[in-house]
Amino acid sequence: MLHIELIILHCLQSIKNERTIYSIFHLLKGKKSSQTIQDAHLFSLKPFFGILEPMTRELFDRKIAAMLQNNLIIDCGGQRFVPALLGESLLQNNRLPIFINGWDYHQITGPVWERLTLLVQVASHLEYGETNYIPIQKNQAVHSWVKTVIKVSNISKREMGRKLYNELTKCFCNADGINPSVIVFRLTGFQQIGLTAEQAAKKLDLEALDYHLQFTNTLHYMIQNIKDNNEQFPLLAYLIQGFTENEELTLSARKTWNLLLQGYSPEMIASLRRLRVSTIEDHLVEFALNINHFQIDEYVDNGLQSKILDTSRQQGTKQLKVIKDKVKNASYFQIRLVLAKYGEQSWN
Amino acid sequence: MELEDLLLKHFGFHSFKTGQKEVISSLLSGCHTLAMLPTGTGKSLCYQLPGYMLDGHVLIVSPLLSLMQDQVEQFKRFGEKRVVALNSFLTLEEKNQVLRHINEYKFIFISPEMLRVPYILGILGKLKLSMFVVDEAHCISQWGFDFRPDYSKLGEIRSALGNPLTLALTATATYQVREDIIQSLGLSNVTKVESSVDRPNIAICIEELADYHEKEARILDLVQQLEKPGVIYFTSKKAAEQMAALLVEKEICQAGYYHGGMDPSTRVLIQEQFIHNQLEVICATSAFGMGINKENIRFVIHYHMPMQIESYLQEIGRAGRDGNQSVAILLYSPGDELLPLQLAEGELPSEQQIDWLFASIAGEPRVLNEQLRLHKDLKEQGGFTDVQWRFIEGLIHQMHRTVPMQQMNKSVKEFVAGRLTTKKTNIFQLKQWLDSASCRREHLLNYFGEMLSDQVQPCCDRCGVQLNQFFKVSGHFKSKPSDVTWNQYLAKILINSGLSE
Repeated sequence: MLHIELIILHCLQSIKNERTIYSIFHLLKGKKSSQTIQDAHLFSLKPFFGILEPMTRELFDRKIAAMLQNNLIIDCGGQRFVPALLGESLLQNNRLPIFINGWDYHQITGPVWERLTLLVQVASHLEYGETNYIPIQKNQAVHSWVKTVIKVSNISKREMGRKLYNELTKCFCNADGINPSVIVFRLTGFQQIGLTAEQAAKKLDLEALDYHLQFTNTLHYMIQNIKDNNEQFPLLAYLIQGFTENEELTLSARKTWNLLLQGYSPEMIASLRRLRVSTIEDHLVEFALNINHFQIDEYVDNGLQSKILDTSRQQGTKQLKVIKDKVKNASYFQIRLVLAKYGEQSWN
Repeated sequence: MELEDLLLKHFGFHSFKTGQKEVISSLLSGCHTLAMLPTGTGKSLCYQLPGYMLDGHVLIVSPLLSLMQDQVEQFKRFGEKRVVALNSFLTLEEKNQVLRHINEYKFIFISPEMLRVPYILGILGKLKLSMFVVDEAHCISQWGFDFRPDYSKLGEIRSALGNPLTLALTATATYQVREDIIQSLGLSNVTKVESSVDRPNIAICIEELADYHEKEARILDLVQQLEKPGVIYFTSKKAAEQMAALLVEKEICQAGYYHGGMDPSTRVLIQEQFIHNQLEVICATSAFGMGINKENIRFVIHYHMPMQIESYLQEIGRAGRDGNQSVAILLYSPGDELLPLQLAEGELPSEQQIDWLFASIAGEPRVLNEQLRLHKDLKEQGGFTDVQWRFIEGLIHQMHRTVPMQQMNKSVKEFVAGRLTTKKTNIFQLKQWLDSASCRREHLLNYFGEMLSDQVQPCCDRCGVQLNQFFKVSGHFKSKPSDVTWNQYLAKILINSGLSE
């Protein structure tokens, strides 16, 4: 199995020596930085975004060193590499994991897995009529989710196990290039505790990261299959329901967002986080762009908001300088904020 | 109703374990109580049962988040839904939700750092509390091995809550620590229920070996022969992982490893595999064992020496809960005490780190936020570990009202130096016990201020123990799991298809 190697080779081929090897590391780790997000788009590497979260830098470095030694890649200096001839032929003769869809699913992969494992455990214990057991998931949100599913699915407790069994086997049966074992042996049921990732990898004779990749590939296959054939999987469909859409906030902005929710002012956040106020202001603009319910009234009073919008409309521009010249008492930050929040509407 | 009837009604047990009834009776007669009960005697029952008979809420302070989650789960499994844990696992939203409905919970578990928040303390102060329970009460004492600065505020908090009826619980505390608990909580007229720390059904053996090669060989040999299941304790995570791999590779037994560096869901799986006999041996760090109820553990081996006698006793105490004969074996080789000494230093912030921290926060008025917490970035920048950080944060919080900022640096350093001395003394005392020629059991009991009254048989290597009596009788080696297909596996767990073992 050369899965990880294949993916790294594919990424190297795509970035065409324009980025260092670590841009691939960040991509596979799913780093929430604008650079990495941009790279994923620019080089069409979105499916691989965030699919190897458990990988460490050390492991990655070791992988690269091994690939170099095996003549799969060529060192171009400055931490840049390109596929070697052998690497290119590998790429031609092997298929990439086809179901993997990191960009769309990396955020829900973990939660879907938690839901699946708990649902199976609960269904199994219902089947065996046992109420006293230790839930293998501690996350309270997942517990409430299972309770809701049992309530709203209208499936009797006696039937739950069989329904789930039927749907799971149906979901796996037409899978091309998928080995359901990577998922199934990790499930826990009545008096049968599932394997850990490491144990499963060992059982299937896979390296840890390759196992992780197959696991993710299989789970993404399930998610896609459930999504595409919703009516065939009435029970499994709950697994992918109720997730908020991918908020494309950077990690740093996320931290600011959390502090903002706790009632800190931008100045206090800047001081606490030892960042410039202008950086925090950039974050606020990000919120205005990405978070629908984010209100900007606190930062720009209503009168000023309309003035900025009117000016933008009248002048037919989004250039800050032009607007600033007309609305002298507004700061650049305030103009950016208003345009981010209402910019698109103002043209309608 | 008799207490026994209540026990049967609420828990389905017919009789109390050692000490439980005394603690409950004492509380029901309105006496503050200090209870030292060995691990595994069902300490939570000591407040759960009186909780049902007394009017009001029971507030339980617990220092270990994972343990708290376990206890809440256990309450729920026994049908008590009016239970909640207030700790940092909760999101802000969840926390507010809980606080809004706090009245609906009979049993409220809380972490000490949550009690620091004036807003939360205010809400709790309005409740009618029937009991204030301090779990792991030895964490209050600076003489204790596990002192937590957060805990030293509990006396003050207790008085802010109107001095409710108090139960202090611990498994292992020396006389000095017990006195410290009583004094620190401000308990007058306290009933002490102190059961012996002795576990007569566990034989205690120490073996001295030349080096770690010999230790490794000895472990393989012992595990091969001893009746299982068993636990092997290590100080290092890596050593635990390697030994587990070796035991599997040599096909000696089904082994797994467990330590705090693993993600929580993996830890649950390993723990449950062990409980369900899918694993026969766990190679673990001290992170393993709390809140685990497995009755039939037959041996506990120590590959490294623990940090103090208290931890050693807690760890070997996981063997033989069913009352059957079990064995504890500690393997020592010269120089082993260096590792705990290093660790003791590593657990505390260094002088340089303390200087750096105070230099960074000097002249920063907003260094402490409303909850009096230092900003997390300082932790990363100063290279503090979680343990170091929790320690220094708690310490500064404790000192900030009494010690002026200019002197705090010095006070913190002095305090840290004092802690290091205590830790070193603890290690030294354990080493003394290893070196001592007298009966192991007697020496341990003396450490806790007890006398050995009855000779037990088998007792310890000093009194003479034949290890082969702990060897497995027949070769009932569990066969390897048969090769079921994924489909058969799924059928077995979901549709009770009666797949044979």
